[in-house]
Amino acid sequence: MNLQEYILSGIIESYVLGLASAEDSVEFERMCDAHQEVRAARNAFELQLEQSLLQQKLEPPRALKSRIFSEIGMEKDEQPPRIISGKPVLIPRKGFARYVAAASLVLLFGSVLLNLYLLNQYKKSIAQYKELVATQTQIAGANQMLQTKLEDYENALRLMKNPLMEIVKMPGAPASPAPSSMATVYWNTESKEVYLLVNRLPMPVPDKQYQLWAIVDGHPVDAGIFDMNKDLSFVKLKTIPKAEAFAITLEKKGGSTTPTMEAMYVIGKVTG
Amino acid sequence: MASTETYSEQELINALKDRDDQAFSYLYDHYSGSLYSIILQIVKSPEMAADILQEVFINIWRKIESYDPLKGRLFTWMLNISRNASIDMLRSKGYMNSLKNQEITDNVYGIDLVTQTNIDGIGLTKFLGKLKPEHRILIELAYLMGYTHEEIAQIEDIPLGTVKTRIRNALLQLKVYLK
Repeated sequence: MNLQEYILSGIIESYVLGLASAEDSVEFERMCDAHQEVRAARNAFELQLEQSLLQQKLEPPRALKSRIFSEIGMEKDEQPPRIISGKPVLIPRKGFARYVAAASLVLLFGSVLLNLYLLNQYKKSIAQYKELVATQTQIAGANQMLQTKLEDYENALRLMKNPLMEIVKMPGAPASPAPSSMATVYWNTESKEVYLLVNRLPMPVPDKQYQLWAIVDGHPVDAGIFDMNKDLSFVKLKTIPKAEAFAITLEKKGGSTTPTMEAMYVIGKVTG
Repeated sequence: MASTETYSEQELINALKDRDDQAFSYLYDHYSGSLYSIILQIVKSPEMAADILQEVFINIWRKIESYDPLKGRLFTWMLNISRNASIDMLRSKGYMNSLKNQEITDNVYGIDLVTQTNIDGIGLTKFLGKLKPEHRILIELAYLMGYTHEEIAQIEDIPLGTVKTRIRNALLQLKVYLK
């Protein structure tokens, strides 16, 4: 079959009217691509069919056109958002909102910095406060000590000032291990209470204690043991109703019933 | 909405692809009558034909991007869309049911059922009427009823090759009358 026979075979009309088989259609399209004559013949039949059928009109219902247009009109309205919805949409901010957003970020940053600064200051203040409390406690402790000491001194002074006090000075005894030793007994003549002030005595060895003796009718009577106090050696000892003299010996810890005469440090007579 | 402008084929296609309302209005005004005529000759019911014509024009609007001018003219493309939509309707359940109802109604009133709308003298039918009967029946079965060559070979009890040849000859004859 040559090209002219192919063109006149009826394939053109079959294809254009949609009656050609799939196989024939594929071949026809290939022939159209390859041969301008086939294309021209196809186009000629298409034009003839179109013109012929355009003269064979039947008017469709009048309302149909507006029905179709309202439907595609709605589609047209829907289209822009459909296109936009396919892509990520960045809604531009209005100028004022952008300023507010920027300002709030600046404020937030500033607030964070301020908070860090204040936290640091707070920690410093806490440390300083603790230091102050410790110092204050120390001072209060020291004050308490001074207060106590002062009270002791005041007490001692009050007792010494008492006009009823008999003062018995006891210098170093004739055979004293420490001849420059001295102590003083304050003896209340009314209540018979005995207080001792150590003026100067050597510190005893750890297992020994000083002991005060009252000499009553030529016999020594225990008047009490005492420890050497660094601050104020003014201590209240035993009440002694009657005595002609007082003496101090160094005895074993806890005291003795009779004085060790070789260890008599001081002795003094009641002048009365 | 009547269009006053006229378009060349290429201008019309370009304008339609640009979603130009006026071009679409022109397209409807210019072609809806011919297409409605073809549809009506296939489905026979004016109501259905109107529904199909609406569907056809909406599809033309939606699918204009897929139209390829190298494969044929715009009218040929629209004609095939119209015929395919009409034949789809013939094959649908709704059409079968409406035919049954029509038969019952027609029987009740004792009216011979042929066509409500007389289309014998117009459109494609006018040309078909000029064909020899053996040619005419093949065109009606193939073009208006959408039967395949194989189905026609069975219905008419003729060889498949003969169906193809007769259809081609019928179309060539039809072409002569189309002038």
